[in-house]
Amino acid sequence: MHANLSALARDLGAFFTETLQARRAPRGSRREEGPEPNLGSDSRPGRAALRQGQGHRGHESPTETQNAPVHPSRSPAPGGSFLTPAPAEESRFNHLAQQLFALQFALNPPYRALCLARGVTPHRVSDWQEIPAVPASAFKEFAFTCLPESERTIRFESSGTTQSVRSQGHHSRESLRLYEASLLPWFQHHLLPETLQADNADPGHWDFISLTPPLAQAPRSSLVHMLDAIQRQPWFSQAGFVGRTGPDGTWSLDLGALEAAIQQAHTRSQAVTLAGTAFNWVHLLENPDVDRLRLPQASRLMETGGYKGRSRELSRDQLHKELSARLGVARENIVTEYGMCELSSQAYDQVAGGRCPQRVLRFPPWARVTVVSPETGLEVANGESGLVRVLDLANAFSVMAVETEDLAIRHPDGIELLGRNRQTEPRGCSLLSA
Amino acid sequence: MSLTLPQCYLADLPPEAQVTPALIRDAWLSVLRNREHYLVRRATSSILRDLESAAALWRAQDSPYRRLALDLGPAQTGFSAPILEEGLSQLFGSLTVAQLEAWVEQDLGHPSRLDAFCATGPERASHRRSKAVGPSALAHITAGNIPPAGVLNVVSGLLVRSAQFVKCAAGGSWVPRLFAHSLREINPHLGACLEIAEWPRERTDLTEALIADAECVTASGSDEAISALRSAVPVTKRFVAYGHRVSFAYIAADAMGPGQIETLAARAARDVCAWNQQGCLSPHVIYVQETGAEDFARHLAAALDAAEQTHPRGPLPDADAATIRSRRSFYEVRAAASRETRLWHSNPSTAWTVVYEANPQFQASCLNRFVYVKGVDALETALQGADRLRRHVSTVGLAASPAHASELAARLADWGVTRICPLGQMQDPPPLWRHDGRPALTDLVRWTDWEEEAPSHTHP
Repeated sequence: MHANLSALARDLGAFFTETLQARRAPRGSRREEGPEPNLGSDSRPGRAALRQGQGHRGHESPTETQNAPVHPSRSPAPGGSFLTPAPAEESRFNHLAQQLFALQFALNPPYRALCLARGVTPHRVSDWQEIPAVPASAFKEFAFTCLPESERTIRFESSGTTQSVRSQGHHSRESLRLYEASLLPWFQHHLLPETLQADNADPGHWDFISLTPPLAQAPRSSLVHMLDAIQRQPWFSQAGFVGRTGPDGTWSLDLGALEAAIQQAHTRSQAVTLAGTAFNWVHLLENPDVDRLRLPQASRLMETGGYKGRSRELSRDQLHKELSARLGVARENIVTEYGMCELSSQAYDQVAGGRCPQRVLRFPPWARVTVVSPETGLEVANGESGLVRVLDLANAFSVMAVETEDLAIRHPDGIELLGRNRQTEPRGCSLLSA
Repeated sequence: MSLTLPQCYLADLPPEAQVTPALIRDAWLSVLRNREHYLVRRATSSILRDLESAAALWRAQDSPYRRLALDLGPAQTGFSAPILEEGLSQLFGSLTVAQLEAWVEQDLGHPSRLDAFCATGPERASHRRSKAVGPSALAHITAGNIPPAGVLNVVSGLLVRSAQFVKCAAGGSWVPRLFAHSLREINPHLGACLEIAEWPRERTDLTEALIADAECVTASGSDEAISALRSAVPVTKRFVAYGHRVSFAYIAADAMGPGQIETLAARAARDVCAWNQQGCLSPHVIYVQETGAEDFARHLAAALDAAEQTHPRGPLPDADAATIRSRRSFYEVRAAASRETRLWHSNPSTAWTVVYEANPQFQASCLNRFVYVKGVDALETALQGADRLRRHVSTVGLAASPAHASELAARLADWGVTRICPLGQMQDPPPLWRHDGRPALTDLVRWTDWEEEAPSHTHP
């Protein structure tokens, strides 16, 4: 691997840790959205600045609050907040993005060709927003990777029907290290906020169950890689995968195994973290024996991905409502994750147990999401919809800027997904049914 | 001159009014009764005159129907006013007594076939006379992607004297509804033999009520929608289906004479802009023979840019614009990596896109003025590239020298194309065209053959 890229990857890993710590560090009276459950979430930029320097905890002046200036989302408060970067962080982010762009431009031939076609070269870029984004669909045809072929030891593929061409993401041991450095803390922050609290740091109060097949049966799934990395963490005393891959590649659920795992958790008074795709969850709900399952108190669910025609489709709201009713899990303990094989970082729509007034997807501080108008390519205003574009520093060994095919509404502190996985790439003649 | 539409049809009801199965049954009863009174014994010539008069109401520049269609049509249909104007002028210009009479004669062999028993040569020779009778209750389930389809459905049903119920796709009833009102203005009795409504495909209870009282059902739409309807229509009823079709153009090398490229590009642009490619007759791909394909693509881009000034495409829903943007970006990456792909597009909008590729594989467009230009050495290569769509191609817009054209047409017919027309007229079929290769009126009627006694068989 290119020595400069390896060195930069180490810097990025350090940046992930430091920036998360810095954002979590109390500034003023309290954190804006702490990892603790039931903390009120206040996402308005500018609040932190007001609170900074207040000497007493838990009390804020209504007058000051009312006079709080409303900043646009990218005008951070002087000190930053959990949801908005401080100027120092923003400047470091920008610096790292530019360094990374120079290396990806040099090491990634199809990306370089695209940048040159757009007339963008590293010395012309002064802001991360100028870094050209690659369409996610192009991952189906081109290897957007900085890894030399000999180091591409792991390949992620997008899920999809057997006929469709799949997106590919290449990884090495080194790139997976950075991938995990991104995914683990952000998962922990949203699904297991209790484990972050100093007085509750005793690991192993949790069991982990994935409804997907295990890694050995789904070696190309980036989601299963992610869940595999998660289940190895000390937060869990037991972990298992209760999905199976059939001979035709489809995923099914072993309800007996799931029931046994839940029973074990009950016996040992453990709470459970369950993860699965939306269609995994629908398969579970369609099982006539699902009502036998009762999850231990405080258990939580992670739901991700689309349906891809593998089950009947429910709206997210309906799915969460049914999951809550049938499995006995409070709605605030059902967390939606948004990720894709072309990216290394994921977004979550709330901290488990939190009381977010509005559930919007948020990426970690080392990624930036932009919503662009499909008509003009320019960023839309808050409340408007467009295509999701993500700049993900954890994608150091691939391309960091990816424009997805997903439509979302821009909110001041995140995005609200409208639709996923539209098959816009040419599909040969299967488009007949379009 | 302003016009307020009276509430005559279910489609005239305010959006909050609910169509129910009971309303559909009542509507059938009423149109069937009116057919008995006003339509079933009417002479073909009188129906043709009324249809021509209704079409004439649309042709006049100050026509209130035309004004209404153009003023409110963009919001109702998504097409810009110039696109609607061009398409509707073409449609109503072709609805004349002469054209309609020719249609009856072409499909049924005799212009009076629907009025009385009559005979053509072979029938006379076998001492037979025949009469064609349309279904009493004719239901149309239309895809609603472009307005002319619904209007021509109504015309065909009137010609065969059916009571009709036109079910439009959600949001697709605007032009058929205005046409029904114009017909009603010319002859309220004819307009009363017709019902128009719209509901979404998911409302299968309403569609079932529609089918229950119909004698014959026509349907257009995706293969999936047709297949669902086919299983919903009992075998005792006639079902006439028009499934999904795609079209392409072919420009032979001998059409590309000196100075011709711009004319051809303008004609191709006209085909791409007509109804924004939404119809089954719009080209997805333009195959260009010999080396001029890339140059042609560049000229086509210029022609589409010029067309955007005079006939703007109009705004798109986010999802459709996103599809264009994502697909463009994909070809941008491909073009950056290879000389075999080139991309031209409007900027900064999604108004039009031209993708040139050397690869002759047919590529379905995402529509809304997104077109592929592909270079081929001969027609055969284009047909190989489109082979997987072989039974799904409707129209080929052809540009070739007259000497060469007949040879190409013969090959296209042999391959399975059902319509060949000059480049630039792909979306302008005459009313009497054989839709998907089938005679439309023939598919609707049943025949009564009357075998008369031959003179030699006289009884003693």
